[in-house]
Amino acid sequence: MDAFLAGAHQVFAFDTLTYMLIGSVAGIIAAAIPGFTVTMAIILTLPLTFAMEPLQGVAVMLSVYVGGYTGGLISAALLGIPGTPSSVATTFDAFPMARNGEPGRALSLGIWASFFGTVISTIVLIVAAPPLALIAVKLGPWEYFSLIVFALTVVASLVGNSLMRGLIAGVIGLGIATIGPDPMMGRSRLTFDTDLLMPGLPFLIVLIGIFAISQLLSEVEIHGKKTSHALIPKVIDFKTWQVMREVLMGPVNLIRSSMIGVFIGALPGAGGSIANLLAYDQAKRSSKTPEKFGQGSPDGVVASEAGNSATAGGGLIPMIALGIPGSAVDAILMASLMVHGISVGPRLIMDNADLVYGMFIAMIVSSLMMLVVCVASMRLFLRVTDIPKQFIVPTVIVCCVIGAFALNNRMSDLYLLGIIGLVGYGLKSLDYPLAPLVLGVILGPIAETNLRRALMSDADWTTFFTRPISAVLLIAAVISVVFSVRSILKIRKTARETNVASD
Amino acid sequence: MFRKMAVAVGLVVAAAALPVQAQDYPEKSIEFIVPWGPGGGSDALMRIVAQGLAEETGQAIPVINMPGVGGNVGLAEFAKRAADGYTISQIHEGLLVSNKTGITELNWDSFIPVALVASSPQYLTLSKNDNFSTFEELVTYAKANPGKVRAGVTLAGIPHLHMAMIEEAMGLEFSYVGYTDTGERVRALIGGNIDIAIGDISSAAQFVENGDLIYAAVGTAERTDDAPDVPTLKELGMDAELIITRGVVLPAGTPQETVDALEGYIEKVMAREEVIRLMGNAGADAVFYGQDAYRTYLEKLDASVSKLVGKLEG
Repeated sequence: MDAFLAGAHQVFAFDTLTYMLIGSVAGIIAAAIPGFTVTMAIILTLPLTFAMEPLQGVAVMLSVYVGGYTGGLISAALLGIPGTPSSVATTFDAFPMARNGEPGRALSLGIWASFFGTVISTIVLIVAAPPLALIAVKLGPWEYFSLIVFALTVVASLVGNSLMRGLIAGVIGLGIATIGPDPMMGRSRLTFDTDLLMPGLPFLIVLIGIFAISQLLSEVEIHGKKTSHALIPKVIDFKTWQVMREVLMGPVNLIRSSMIGVFIGALPGAGGSIANLLAYDQAKRSSKTPEKFGQGSPDGVVASEAGNSATAGGGLIPMIALGIPGSAVDAILMASLMVHGISVGPRLIMDNADLVYGMFIAMIVSSLMMLVVCVASMRLFLRVTDIPKQFIVPTVIVCCVIGAFALNNRMSDLYLLGIIGLVGYGLKSLDYPLAPLVLGVILGPIAETNLRRALMSDADWTTFFTRPISAVLLIAAVISVVFSVRSILKIRKTARETNVASD
Repeated sequence: MFRKMAVAVGLVVAAAALPVQAQDYPEKSIEFIVPWGPGGGSDALMRIVAQGLAEETGQAIPVINMPGVGGNVGLAEFAKRAADGYTISQIHEGLLVSNKTGITELNWDSFIPVALVASSPQYLTLSKNDNFSTFEELVTYAKANPGKVRAGVTLAGIPHLHMAMIEEAMGLEFSYVGYTDTGERVRALIGGNIDIAIGDISSAAQFVENGDLIYAAVGTAERTDDAPDVPTLKELGMDAELIITRGVVLPAGTPQETVDALEGYIEKVMAREEVIRLMGNAGADAVFYGQDAYRTYLEKLDASVSKLVGKLEG
């Protein structure tokens, strides 16, 4: 209890709260700009925390982190471009909802879902960190590979109109991921000895190219002739409290999505970019009205945003319980503690209990701050949609380019960005869904690494089926495919019957 | 007016007091290309060096991370930069290994080694298991069960080289499992997915203290202050050093005066107590080897990598 009070005392100091508020705003803004990521914002915060007390520094970084998981929502909903990799699935429903004249509702839904997602994940973190962390560490390459196989079946939910085109997009994504150094040994593959392809196609470059550049190009196309047209019709009201009730009225979706986020977040190496898609997929499958997904379904927005925000607390589980970072952001958090001479490991909670309790409190405070900042400034965000397109499109493109360059400081990445943007635009024009492609790029290398690792540890293929968790995941993958195919066939059959009837 | 004059006079005096070489180098900021991503070991240590250099030279030393292909993307870019001393970079053992395994054409002698600044002792680390808990038991078990012991390494990387050194010296045969960074390996070790790995203080010490992992041996010439109970490989009858060293390099063709000037500044940086303390926190020993000593070290290392390269191509 003393440690708890000591932690609370440090977080509730006036200067800490002020820094956290600034951090929260900074995180939201950084994540809202396509091409700028939460990780980048946190790296920029890192040197500033050197001069602070350890807990103060971590609290500020947590506020950037939590703010960042929400900020991605803004550009996802208003521009149709995921602000961060973790808000890819948010674009599916929040953007159509905004285009249908409800941008305020789309934002409110996302903000509340993020808030509850963070809170739920923090509660899980406080209650169950040690056992969950142990499970996460015991998982070997077999379980990771099977998990990724399961995650790949999500493609079926993302295919849009045509199963075939969706699968092709997924395969293109997997193919793109094989370009460059192989993930195990760094041997060049498919680079044709060019400097351009030598480092491979970084996942974020693909994401920005595929979603942001292609989306911006099609903005120019659709309303090319009618200049000075805003992206979204006139501002509608936010219904903040009504939306809160709406989010809470769907507790199953909210809790399921948050738990997916916590679980994926707790697995080192997975993270928010997968959690939002998995949560979206599960929400769609268990929905009574799956056909509304992709047209502006509130459940889709809630699933994606609760799912990605919950990875914040999930990622802290292995870090606090074992000293193993759950994501790149957690690794930077650990670095900031290490600079202060605090070693993060299994003894952290015993040796620095006040710090750990302080982090829990800071998570809750950060999510409240995020909520207040977002609700208070939503009107301002919507102003963005009043800006005529000829200003906003070039501005966002410039941000994307700067962000893409800042990732690795490589000029060649920008050429790749341009090429991938054009390819994405081409695929989009041909009505190929882009999400499966991105999913392929994210999951391909993880699957390859773990498959190779599993077979190096034990040349026996059957181990994938004899390890129980791995077997369960593979069975889930099979069930997932069977169900998807059945539901697609059913939709096709109904469509055919209606066609016949109308003939 | 008077105050301005006083400042001007002060500046002139200060400038005159500096040694001759410092007057012409550096005249402007120096870019420090760190060919690895932010947050890693190289990044943390080089930022400490950059900070110290900035204070010694009075010029800004911006660190630019250029990660990719195990440091080779950043070094390829660095090799193309003007050899005027205004771009510096960093290498470690990984470059020599990448060169020998054919991943890059560049080698240590494609650059001018200026100074070795940090040395991180590497520990042979064991998971908690039923078969062995000391170096001797590991050797006995591995001899009796060739190929049974799963060693986590970065394939064709430094840990792989280190494991190959142990394999060769003790006449053992491990089976290798590829992991990309030390954190990942330590995690797999704790989860029991591999049996042995190369670890260091910053990533594994807490788990050793907690009883989850065991340090079987340390790769330095003498026992370390961080883990004084852990025997060295020398004591255990193996003549090899397992350390990772990081040093600052300049592009080939840089004028000798500039190399000497930079070496002088780095020597001063490495004597700073703050730098030594921060590097200690980051799990490395601050050291200083000048141009000649660093070159000798790299030549010797090159020979030993060449000898073992056959084992690394898998």
